Amino acid sequence: MKRDATNGVIVFRNLTKRYGELEAVRGVSLEVPRGQICGYLGPNGAGKTTTLKMATGMLEPTSGTALIEGHDILEAPLEAKRRIGVVPETGALYENLTPREYLTLVGRLYHLGEHEVAKKIDSFLGLFGIDDVANRIMTSFSRGMRQKVLISGALMHNPSVLFLDEPLSGLDANTALVLKELLRDLASQGKTVFYCSHILEVVEKICDRVVILNRGEIVADGAVEELKDLTHRATLEEVFSGLTSTGDLPEIVRAFSASVRGEEEE
Amino acid sequence: MAEARRSARGARGGADWRQIRALLSAEIKLDLRTSRSQLGRGRLPPFVTAMLVYAAMGTLLALALVAMADPFVFALFTMSGAMFLTALSVIMEYGSVVVSPDDYGILAHRPISSRTYFWSKVGNLFFYVGATALALTAPASVIGSTLIGGGWSFAAAYLPLAVLACLAASGVVVLVYTSALRVVSYERFTSIVTYVHMLATIVLALGYVALPNMIGRTGGFAVERGTWTYAAPPAWFAGAVNLLAGDGVPQDGLLTVLAAAFTVAAVGAAMNVISLDYSRRISELASKSGSTPPKRAGRASAALLRLGAAVCRTDEERAGYQLAAIAMRRDRKLRGRVYPAFGLPIAIIIFGYATGNLGDPFAPIDVEGFRAHQLIGAYCIFITIFFATAIVQSDQWKASWIFYAAPVRRLGDLLVGARKLIIWRYLLPFYALLLVVLSFAMPPAHAALYMLIITLLALTAFALLSITAPAPPLSQAVERTRQARQFGLVALGGLAMGLFVAVERLMQEVPISRLYVVIFLAALAAASEWVLRKSLAHKLARLDFAG
Repeated sequence: MKRDATNGVIVFRNLTKRYGELEAVRGVSLEVPRGQICGYLGPNGAGKTTTLKMATGMLEPTSGTALIEGHDILEAPLEAKRRIGVVPETGALYENLTPREYLTLVGRLYHLGEHEVAKKIDSFLGLFGIDDVANRIMTSFSRGMRQKVLISGALMHNPSVLFLDEPLSGLDANTALVLKELLRDLASQGKTVFYCSHILEVVEKICDRVVILNRGEIVADGAVEELKDLTHRATLEEVFSGLTSTGDLPEIVRAFSASVRGEEEE
Repeated sequence: MAEARRSARGARGGADWRQIRALLSAEIKLDLRTSRSQLGRGRLPPFVTAMLVYAAMGTLLALALVAMADPFVFALFTMSGAMFLTALSVIMEYGSVVVSPDDYGILAHRPISSRTYFWSKVGNLFFYVGATALALTAPASVIGSTLIGGGWSFAAAYLPLAVLACLAASGVVVLVYTSALRVVSYERFTSIVTYVHMLATIVLALGYVALPNMIGRTGGFAVERGTWTYAAPPAWFAGAVNLLAGDGVPQDGLLTVLAAAFTVAAVGAAMNVISLDYSRRISELASKSGSTPPKRAGRASAALLRLGAAVCRTDEERAGYQLAAIAMRRDRKLRGRVYPAFGLPIAIIIFGYATGNLGDPFAPIDVEGFRAHQLIGAYCIFITIFFATAIVQSDQWKASWIFYAAPVRRLGDLLVGARKLIIWRYLLPFYALLLVVLSFAMPPAHAALYMLIITLLALTAFALLSITAPAPPLSQAVERTRQARQFGLVALGGLAMGLFVAVERLMQEVPISRLYVVIFLAALAAASEWVLRKSLAHKLARLDFAG
């Protein structure tokens, strides 16, 4: 299979997605080297999830492409997809299967041996503390329990690249702590992580690099400290707000509060 | 390493059989399990119930045809019924059996080729159709071999051929639908598919009622074989049964060839046309589904809301009414689940007009036999089943938490409001339209009386059906095979047609009885509505949000 020579394990080349008149993602280009945790930030509707969907082959770009370890997601989708693990924002899984059945399905889709699959399932579910419900249908699972199954599914085949869309969603504090440390550990082993989130504190703590997206375009790209220096702000939260906020925050809060009380804003 | 190389080869070849087995096994497990629906708890898995209903229908159909001494005719009619029901079932379940946008979020980022995905779906379709066909035709094979006297050679030939016939019929449905997916833009497809559903239902129903009329009768149930057999696919398979059972006539050879060619063409074409880029198209379809901007509320919408304000008594009823109105306007899948039902009475009206067989329910009977108005009436009642099921289901059912979190005094009123929308916006206008159409074929007073009776029966049926599905609107997961099961129950309820015909005869002979019938049915409809309200208040008070 022909590979595209590049330094980046994840490469976006002018990724663009249009829905009619709406341009959800506008020519996003970036490279993420091996072993880096790249935080991908942006306000609601900025195009984070759309970018992730295009990069993982879930959505066809209007133009541009993404490469995973040199494999074009459009030209060689199977080669690219074998290398990635994904935790999607939607949290979609087959609820009428048990965690064991679902993860067995995932393992088989990646051609893992039956023994290896069984061993990994026991290990993951045990570490996440949900081994007692391994054979229970997931319809009654909490959001956090589902997220644990999804994360297990993303790690099942030991991928070299991880795409995570709000992976901490629904997780309790202890599990979130474990996951954050796990991501650091995986990165130190050479795995590359693309981390979409709104939670700035987490991104600030674990990401080597932060890319901020606003209205489909990259408006900042660099290490957290670099961004603070460049924008003369003290925290990532201030950097983010300065680059993406459309109005005066105290003014918005005042107007909102008045609306809640049912009062007219002066 | 060797395993990885094998899998790579498999992927290059297009279909990865290990992945297909894994996907198929998961899909069959999903089929056989009860959904999250609160209404389904503690019951048999929906799939099993559907198969039991189909088996009962197959038995009744076969028993009704026992008088036909000729195995060919018996096979012809039972197969035509099974093919019709299987094709209709695939139309009703198309959204879950063939096109599954839900798979997109789970599978699209995994290394699965479109051909692999497609074959897993085909396997699942074959499982579903094969099980449906077996349930429908196994009773006929036993009855044909014993009561009809075909012997065990008949059963041995009949059963596999009947299943093949049903597979071919479902292949045609898949072919038509997926071909439409290739030529129609993604945005339009989900809208258009609703009307394709309706058109397909009309075509199927027309074929179903047209077949017996194509056959030349020699008296009683004996039929005369003629050139018509070459135009009727069920006759091809019946001919093949005759041939394989050892009772063949020279014509059966040609019919068998036609049956084989039809099966290969229908199933083969359905697969070849769509396999390569099927998965991508489905995922694009899914990604576009939410991108269409909502229509602006126009004059019609404003009038609809004013109507809602007039017919609804409480805030909860108005909320249910408005929610259902918006969902019916914007949710293409919801429309796709109910609109096909309108195709059935329309098909019978077309057929009745074309053959001059519409009939006047209140005129003295001068000819015996099929009169289309009876089926029109039955199908008008049948429509309520589709609505009763669809209005409590939604892909976004989890959003119904708001009904439980908000200080709603009576959850049941939400459903009452949604039902009022269906009655005032869909059922009554449709029945009024039929009244106009029927007025051209019979005295307007007779048409009005007939449609009044049908409307009262339909309202009663709608209330009784809502009692069996007590839930706030759009609050239940869409449950596969539910419509198929309800369709089956209605078909079984078709036995009540005998009672209906008897009452019709009474109304023809004793005109004053018409008044008593109307009064009785009006009281029945009112009583059903009263029972429904009581039942909703009782049952929904104990219902918890299942999300």
